[in-house]
Amino acid sequence: MLKKMLIAATLLFATSSVLAELVVVVNPANANTLDSKTVQRIFLGKDKKFADGNESIAVNQSADTQIRQDFDEAVLGRSSSQVSAYWSKLVFTGKGIPPKEVSSDAEVIDLVSKNPSVIGYIDRSSVTDAVKIVEM
Amino acid sequence: MNKLNKKLSVITLAVLATFQAQAEIRINGFANLTAGITSSDETLYGYDDSIGFASQSLFAIQVSGDISDKVTATGQIVARGDNDYAADFEWAYFTYEAADNISMSAGRLRAPLFRYSASSDVAYSYHWVVAPQSVYDVPFNNIDGIRVDYSGYTGDLEYTFQLTAGRIESDFILSGATASLTVDNTVGLSGDFVYNNWKFRGVYLTGKTTFDIPDLEPTFGLLSQLSADLSEQLRAKDDTGVFYGGSIEYDAFDWFVAGEYTAVEVENSFYPDEVNYYVTAGFRTGKWTPFVTYEKSDLNNTPKFLSDISGLPAAFQPGATQIVVGTQQLAVSENNTISVGTRYELETNIALKADVVKQSDDIGELDSTLIRFAVNYVF
Repeated sequence: MLKKMLIAATLLFATSSVLAELVVVVNPANANTLDSKTVQRIFLGKDKKFADGNESIAVNQSADTQIRQDFDEAVLGRSSSQVSAYWSKLVFTGKGIPPKEVSSDAEVIDLVSKNPSVIGYIDRSSVTDAVKIVEM
Repeated sequence: MNKLNKKLSVITLAVLATFQAQAEIRINGFANLTAGITSSDETLYGYDDSIGFASQSLFAIQVSGDISDKVTATGQIVARGDNDYAADFEWAYFTYEAADNISMSAGRLRAPLFRYSASSDVAYSYHWVVAPQSVYDVPFNNIDGIRVDYSGYTGDLEYTFQLTAGRIESDFILSGATASLTVDNTVGLSGDFVYNNWKFRGVYLTGKTTFDIPDLEPTFGLLSQLSADLSEQLRAKDDTGVFYGGSIEYDAFDWFVAGEYTAVEVENSFYPDEVNYYVTAGFRTGKWTPFVTYEKSDLNNTPKFLSDISGLPAAFQPGATQIVVGTQQLAVSENNTISVGTRYELETNIALKADVVKQSDDIGELDSTLIRFAVNYVF
């Protein structure tokens, strides 16, 4: 019985860690509707403004984090190495500067909450009132 | 006095703070260390049958700073192994962001000739060990002038247009002879289009082209005694030169196929019409990107101006033919290159690569095989 419960608990735990879901977040004052295409364009430096004309500033998580790899693959549709190769093309042609990187969900929340221009992504479980989830 | 000092230091601090706030300096760099060895006496890309490290290696630093909200200054210093790692300012330009989708750059910059023009030195940005030399190894990569970039999108179609104007000056070697190339009044337009997994590109560039080759002057002088007109035809001096090209790419992320085609024509000159292209394909599996590339370079055509010779007095014809054909022969070449290799992602900013290159010379019937290993780094 105990064994069964343990297995169940393990399964539950495993499921919840698989479900560790990333969400794109913006400042609560940001009223723009964003679809995944627009988020992709902002994070690839192709769009520098939101639909309402305000500046958009993307904030990345550091390259060695799981959430960054998940974001690159799920939202940008490429591996982190490919994204890095993409930026190397832009940086050395003076055409773009990659998004600033921070190393935790808390830092993303901090930046997003202080500046209506900032857009980032965090784990759903980290979400606080200081940020607004972008439903894509 | 003390008070003044205090005031001064406050001012200094304020100025410093403003300066730091305004002039954000970014330093980026890239490095390609490429080792190579050929299997026989033949040399290829500067490598021979004892292992060499320099020929296709380079180290570069790029410094850019925001002068104002809209103006950025960029300088790129490159040290190339085939130039004894002497550091050269290859690019130095100002960019003015006129609007979100329009920027203007002025100074010494890269002409938008190829799919990977801007980053052809940043080997990290592509899968090859070195961008296919049949297409990318041209002596007119950089231009002194201006470039206007315009980009935008409609629906799923993204586009970038680049209009370039200026002057190209560069030294190169033609068949062992030192030569210098000048292209005045260069004007070029390129368009890049991305539609879902597809990428398309087209480019057209033209300018008044002059090849200055001291070793050839006596020959041109000799010919002008037989026919001044023919000598002028053969000489490349202020002649209209044209460069055009296109590329197509399909990238399904797990695999990709791409091809690029370029052509050079300097009609009223000894320089043969040139056609170069490559086709490449690869797939991405985890950290590995194995690939294969086929390249062709063709500067092998029927000699020009033969009909002009038939108009000369019969006694002049043999001598004129010898010069006209002989001069054109200098630039003639035709070869095929096949390379098979792989890229491996060591870290997010370091890639390791290896390939085997086999080049067949269709004229001299010579084959050379080269093995290369490379470390590509960006920071």
